[in-house]
Amino acid sequence: MAVCIAVIAKENYPLYIRSIPAEQELKFHYTVHTSLDVVDEKVSAMGKALVDQRELYLGLLYPTEDYKVSLLSRLGIPCVKSMFPNQLHRYGYVTNSKVKFVMVVDSSNTALRDNEIRSMFRKLHNSYTDVMCNPFYNPGDRIHSRAFDNMVTSMMVQVC
Amino acid sequence: MSVPDYMQCAEDHQTLLVVVQPVGIVSEENFFRIYKRISSVSQINVRDSQRVLYIRYRHHYPPENNEWGDFQTHRKVVGLITVTDCFSAKDWPQTFEKFHVQKEIYGSTLYDSRLFVFGLQGEIAEQPRTDVAFYPNYDECESVEKRIEDFIESLFIVLESKRLDRATDKSGDKIPLLCVPFEKKDFVGLDTDSRHYKKRCQGRMRKHVGDLCLQAGMLQDSLVHYHMSVELLRSVNDFLWLGAALEGLCSASVIYHYPGGTGGKAGARRPQGSSLPADTGNRHRPGALTTNGINADTSTEIGRAKNCLSPEDIIDKYKEAISYYSKYKNAGVIELEACVKAVRVLAIQKRSMEASEFLQNAVYINLRQLSEEEKIQRYSILSELYELIGFHRKSAFFKRVAAMQCVAPSIAEPGWRACYKLLLETLPGYSLSLDPKDFNKGTHRGWAAVQMRLLHELVYASRRMGNPALSVRHLSFLLQTMLDFLSDQEKKDVTQSLESYTSKCPGTMELLSLPDGLNLPPVPFTKLPIVRRVKLLNLPASLRPQKMKSLLGQNMSAKSPFIYSPIIAHNRGEERSKKIDFQWVQGDVCEVQLMVYNPMPFELRVENMGLLTSGVEFESLPAALSLPAESGLYPVTLVGVPRSTGQISINGYHTTVFGVFSDCLLDSLPGIKTNGSTVEVIPALPRLQISTSLPRSARTLQPSSGDEISTNVSVQLYNGETQQLDIKLENIGTEPLEKLEVTSKILTTKEKLYGDFLSWKLEETLAQFPLQPGKTATFTVNIKVKLDFSCQENLLQDFNDDGISVSGLPLSSPFRQVVKPRVDSKPVNPSESSKAGDFSHVKTLEAILNFKYSGGPGHIDGYYRNLSLGIHVEAEPSVFFTRVSTLPATSTRQCHLLLDVFNSTEHELTISAKNNEELILHAGECQRMAIQVDKFNFESFPESPAERTQFTNPKQLEEERQEARGLEINSKLDIHWNIPSLKRHGEASVEGILNQLVLEHLQLAPLQWDVLVDGQLCDCDVVADCRVGDPIPLEVRLTNWSKRNVGPFALTVIPYQDYQNGVHNYELQDAITFVGSNTFYIDSVRPTENSVCLGALLFLYTGDFYLNIKFHEDTTSKELPLSWFCLPSVHIRAQGPDLQA
Repeated sequence: MAVCIAVIAKENYPLYIRSIPAEQELKFHYTVHTSLDVVDEKVSAMGKALVDQRELYLGLLYPTEDYKVSLLSRLGIPCVKSMFPNQLHRYGYVTNSKVKFVMVVDSSNTALRDNEIRSMFRKLHNSYTDVMCNPFYNPGDRIHSRAFDNMVTSMMVQVC
Repeated sequence: MSVPDYMQCAEDHQTLLVVVQPVGIVSEENFFRIYKRISSVSQINVRDSQRVLYIRYRHHYPPENNEWGDFQTHRKVVGLITVTDCFSAKDWPQTFEKFHVQKEIYGSTLYDSRLFVFGLQGEIAEQPRTDVAFYPNYDECESVEKRIEDFIESLFIVLESKRLDRATDKSGDKIPLLCVPFEKKDFVGLDTDSRHYKKRCQGRMRKHVGDLCLQAGMLQDSLVHYHMSVELLRSVNDFLWLGAALEGLCSASVIYHYPGGTGGKAGARRPQGSSLPADTGNRHRPGALTTNGINADTSTEIGRAKNCLSPEDIIDKYKEAISYYSKYKNAGVIELEACVKAVRVLAIQKRSMEASEFLQNAVYINLRQLSEEEKIQRYSILSELYELIGFHRKSAFFKRVAAMQCVAPSIAEPGWRACYKLLLETLPGYSLSLDPKDFNKGTHRGWAAVQMRLLHELVYASRRMGNPALSVRHLSFLLQTMLDFLSDQEKKDVTQSLESYTSKCPGTMELLSLPDGLNLPPVPFTKLPIVRRVKLLNLPASLRPQKMKSLLGQNMSAKSPFIYSPIIAHNRGEERSKKIDFQWVQGDVCEVQLMVYNPMPFELRVENMGLLTSGVEFESLPAALSLPAESGLYPVTLVGVPRSTGQISINGYHTTVFGVFSDCLLDSLPGIKTNGSTVEVIPALPRLQISTSLPRSARTLQPSSGDEISTNVSVQLYNGETQQLDIKLENIGTEPLEKLEVTSKILTTKEKLYGDFLSWKLEETLAQFPLQPGKTATFTVNIKVKLDFSCQENLLQDFNDDGISVSGLPLSSPFRQVVKPRVDSKPVNPSESSKAGDFSHVKTLEAILNFKYSGGPGHIDGYYRNLSLGIHVEAEPSVFFTRVSTLPATSTRQCHLLLDVFNSTEHELTISAKNNEELILHAGECQRMAIQVDKFNFESFPESPAERTQFTNPKQLEEERQEARGLEINSKLDIHWNIPSLKRHGEASVEGILNQLVLEHLQLAPLQWDVLVDGQLCDCDVVADCRVGDPIPLEVRLTNWSKRNVGPFALTVIPYQDYQNGVHNYELQDAITFVGSNTFYIDSVRPTENSVCLGALLFLYTGDFYLNIKFHEDTTSKELPLSWFCLPSVHIRAQGPDLQA
């Protein structure tokens, strides 16, 4: 079950990020943001390989790492919690135009096979391509597309 | 062992650990001065051999870590240096005692120790002792380094002896089992004689010897020992020590492969002394001899190739070692440190992905409950390591976690300062710079959500840290740069907190410097409000300075010798884009218009908004404004007064929003439109204000070319009326008004205007000049409205066409057509061709009165100002001449002008001509008025040659001439109207209605015929008396005023009697007789000459007789107009002589 799906632009800023539960969005922002280090590393390592033969799927980026860091909680009391309550795995995928997809998957109850993840990314990529084909979409803007939203929602629910 | 040393690196395995500690009361400053000097001696070339000894100094080392000294010898404290103050010999024994106590702590492992005593002098100090050194004070201790070197050499001797002792330890003797603290209880009661146990002892000892070799600078030996140890331990499944042996192997290989060190700055090793620079270089080359090993280490050449691990193997072995360590919970610190060491190695190998795996593992190593401080240290080091492998985001993440840890609620005294410092260090990881300039380029491209969070935390931390200036700066930055990403609610919250902060500490434009050297540039609020366009406004037209023509010409010629050149025009266009082609005036309020809008979802209060300028002393007059929520473009005018002259540049504006002062420079604003920012300020000029006696007009005139009217007055006048306009001129400036010129311009109007519309006399006003500031002068202008008094064209035409209109004389048709062209020449305006008979048509007249004035320093520089007064006159029709015709008067020199006068006003009106009595007209009434006029001799008007050239078009010339005639006639007629009820009066002009035909009749014929009866000139009403029976001489005189010869003519005198009942009796042969012929012949008469015909008449009866002098038709030349042959009829009264008697 995917708990967070993010689309990141070539310049490494988010084009789209969606997570469940929505309240923890900031947490996922951090999670996805830190994953970029690995994505960058993997992409630069792959740069040497032939472009057309390149595998778009990057595989597992990071296993679990769940930190709850908050300085500005409602009462203004800072708190740091380091805990590993559930198994979150981050998978990455990068298109030829260096747009990155990052998916955070909660695998505490179900173990997903690599192939399933791969097909999810492929679906995401197709949907993203559709968004790009929209003549009214400005590349580099945040994605506000209902079709894309629906697809992401279906992916978040589907596998669980 | 529970305290991990996160700074550990692989090279530390070859170092000797020396603890330097103060004893007694030693000031921290002094201690660290000495510590620094001591630790500078970190590597020593031992004696003659080329082996190098590395020393690691610690000023604090937990004794429980020391207990792991057997496991890895670099953890063993082998040397102790104590530093102490001792000022009197009395204290000496006590001090020495303390030294011994200190020695006890690490006693089991110490090879040697030293005591440095400062301050003690005297006999005790003079005793030579090896373990104690005396120095008078902290400044005079030159020999410290030397002492340390000696000390280290003594350490080496012990080390070397131990190494040799253990290395030669053969299986003959019983090998003691080395063990780590937590193992001790496990071995109780174990069979010490088993082969397994022996092997274990052997393996552990090999490993220990390997450690010692490494420390003693015998790298190759150590590799051999480690390999052997690995073999031995693997066979007995002694995993902890196997791990240690593998790690030792890795460390030795790393030292071999990476002589530059892996620990970064912290563990950097100095090159091996200046004496061996060549060797240092050689170490990199495979096959070159290592400095560590010649002579003493014979295994160097043989062992290297097979014993030393390849870089890939190092990682594999590290992995293996760590996996063994992880089997033991108590070896967590060892595992953690191994991970850290491996990461450092991988960082050098640039294998970030694998390094991250090691780090990931390190993160999971759960040590016992860590203290808060240790947690901070742990997170910081993780962050540093991630930084090392190029994972900046991850590094920033952990740094932020560390920062949060600093202020965790469990900490009694939260370290906000440390937290803030750590947070600042995370900035690059989140690709955030605190310079707002970096955000000016295009749209913001960053991970806004996390950046915003970080900024919020910075604000919070700086506030708690007690530095409100910093929090204001950060909050301003947040608001300025992240505005697009803030939700409406967030915008509100942020601004509210900003306002509350600034109430204590207003935001400034100063650079904030942090103690650690970071500078926080000021954050101008260029988005609150957003300025879209900046436009420098010209002064209002009435205050606009203008250059005198002559000087302007000079300027132009200085630029280029050409009147026009496309190249220059192009250049000028570029120039214009920067410089503005109008001027401001010193001392006058100047305006700059900004188009702003408020992006906030609430009302934005902008205070103290003013201009930033340079070049000229400028007094800015700040404005405060309040922009409605999410307003559209909103114009704001900023004003100021230049106080000196020169070039002024508008660089930007300043604002105070939410208590933050901002200086926004135009250069740094993205997407701003401007018409240039540099303006010339010219010297001060006076200011003229005019007020008039007439009411101001709401209507503004639409001037043709660029003029702007400052004041408008309006007045309603009847056609023909004259009104006096008093203008008060007041100098409201600060400079004397020295010069004034007045011109007027009548705006193009469809109406034909007669006479001077505006007239004035300037001399009286100029007599009051120069006008000092605050003084007033008056100026009078006469407004005279004299429009066409003819009524609507079509109406007139109707009258014309009815055949009887023009004159009683029979006319041939060609003359009629002469009238037409005037009709056609008038523009046909559809709106004006209203229904015939609509007389109450109000016409408007507009004129501009221009006052050019100058004075003061501006005048010297050749500038003047132009003030325009718009005059708007509504001309209501007063009277109309609906029809005009002439009747010949009794005299041929005169004629009657018949005017049908129509009163179009709603009041009773009287009209009078030159000598006639007044004619009273009721509203809407039309009456005929007859005026007897002398005929005019138009030919006598001078025609200046200038006029001729001016009107080359004959038609124009003709019109001009006709106008002149009209004027002449009008002045003779002098028709006035008067509305008694309104007490208004004026004149009426016939100029416009006189057509060609009427003019013909009013004109004196060029042939002047004079008929003299009895020597007396006979004309219309003159009755010539004569006696019956007496011959009366009749003389007909012709004077030719025309320009050509005329004649010959034949004239016949026909007498008749008028019975006054329409019957003329021509049968008078028996009553009158002619003496001589009754027919006269006149030969051709040349111009200006005259010809006289004489005859005589004899009346036989009394009575009234008339003489009709007729031309013989055949003799009259056809080409001359009929009216030329208009002879007076002669009235003769013949009286009987008896009656007289």
